Amino acid sequence: MRNLLNFLIHYSTWFVFLFYVVLSCVLLFSHNTFQQSIYLSSANIVASKIFGAATNVTDYFNLRTINASLQERNAQLENEVFNLQNEINGYRTILNDTNALTFSRRFNYVSASVLNNSLRRPRNYFTIDKGASDGVKTGMGVVDQNGVVGIVNVTSPHTARIISLLNETQHFSVKIKDTPFVGSLSWKGGDPATAYVEEIPRHVRYTIGDTIVTSGFSTTFPEGIPVGTVMARVRSADDNFFVLKVRLTSDFTTLSTVRVLQDALKAELDSLTQFDLRIDE
Amino acid sequence: MNKEVLLFFALFIALVLAQVLICNHIILFNVAVPIIFIYFIIRLPTGLGLNWLFTFSFLLGFSVDIFSDTPGVNALACTLLAVCKRPMLYAYVPRDDRTKDIIPSLSSLGPAVYAKYLLTMVAAFCLMAFSIEYFNFANVSDIAIMASASCVFSFVLLLGLDSLMLTKS
Repeated sequence: MRNLLNFLIHYSTWFVFLFYVVLSCVLLFSHNTFQQSIYLSSANIVASKIFGAATNVTDYFNLRTINASLQERNAQLENEVFNLQNEINGYRTILNDTNALTFSRRFNYVSASVLNNSLRRPRNYFTIDKGASDGVKTGMGVVDQNGVVGIVNVTSPHTARIISLLNETQHFSVKIKDTPFVGSLSWKGGDPATAYVEEIPRHVRYTIGDTIVTSGFSTTFPEGIPVGTVMARVRSADDNFFVLKVRLTSDFTTLSTVRVLQDALKAELDSLTQFDLRIDE
Repeated sequence: MNKEVLLFFALFIALVLAQVLICNHIILFNVAVPIIFIYFIIRLPTGLGLNWLFTFSFLLGFSVDIFSDTPGVNALACTLLAVCKRPMLYAYVPRDDRTKDIIPSLSSLGPAVYAKYLLTMVAAFCLMAFSIEYFNFANVSDIAIMASASCVFSFVLLLGLDSLMLTKS
């Protein structure tokens, strides 16, 4: 004990200096957005290289569950395609002129691998191996084969840091499938498989097991991407709204391959919003 | 001793106020920012303990940061400048009993030595502060231009301030 005290006293100058430097850096990186983004990008480059090597090995362990879930999703999609083809064939018999049916793809997907992922913090993030040079930009939505998983936070040329759905500060605009009522989904910590939807009006009818999907009221996610299923109703502080406990469709413990959504209309919609703001001013 | 402490306290307040109320609003030719608050670190006695030196320097930078909305930038630069203070001073004066406990100034060091010490300190601070503020070495030319212009401007101002204090005393 005496030796420890002697050591601390002898090197107190160094400890004081390091304390002030660390305190200054904490202030610098937590309160200055520019320095914070540079720090995160640089830290991402180093961290992503290390985690990239680790992911190459650990990816194989999750392949069985991912494969099962992919096959399930594939089956659902095949069913959907089959049903839609039947529907289109039905319409074709009614409409002779199909030239009117012109579709343009609004959303494009960039497939990426998850390099590292955290689950236990109140504010979780994960890193993917696609970045600005692949067209990934801040604010884009990220989904996996089962549903919504996050939003792009910071990008570097070849990697990007994603705000996970398991992040207490992040809210997602969602609705109960086939109803127009929009709520706000957020994770409250703890179990990585459950989240809560708030601000659902009291009169909305729902049943346990109903699907929660994205509302499509932003350029981040198109309408109808699954987020979870209703587990139970939770007591709410506000009597006019209720809160639903939701089981998330995505399994964050085995997050491996994700897709980043690029909205072709984002620039147009954002400029319209800016136009509205200018008029309000 | 108490009078000296009070004088340093008054200098601290006066320099922080002058920096945030006046100097932060001046940018000469869009490149030169006058930085005068570091005069407090430059003036601190050489006999002051290093722990106190680091503490006062951090507090000085932090005070300017609070009013300039740049948390951490000046605090970090001032703490680093405090580390450089002694090596920079003793690069120009011998480390002996005569220089063990002096307040660096025009009168105590002489014009030539003091000017060299002042210029080195101001240059070091400008380089560190602008590097931390820009935080991107893609802008190295901008950092160099801003740091050198601000260094010259601040050096002239601080030399003037020191002459003023010498005349008064």
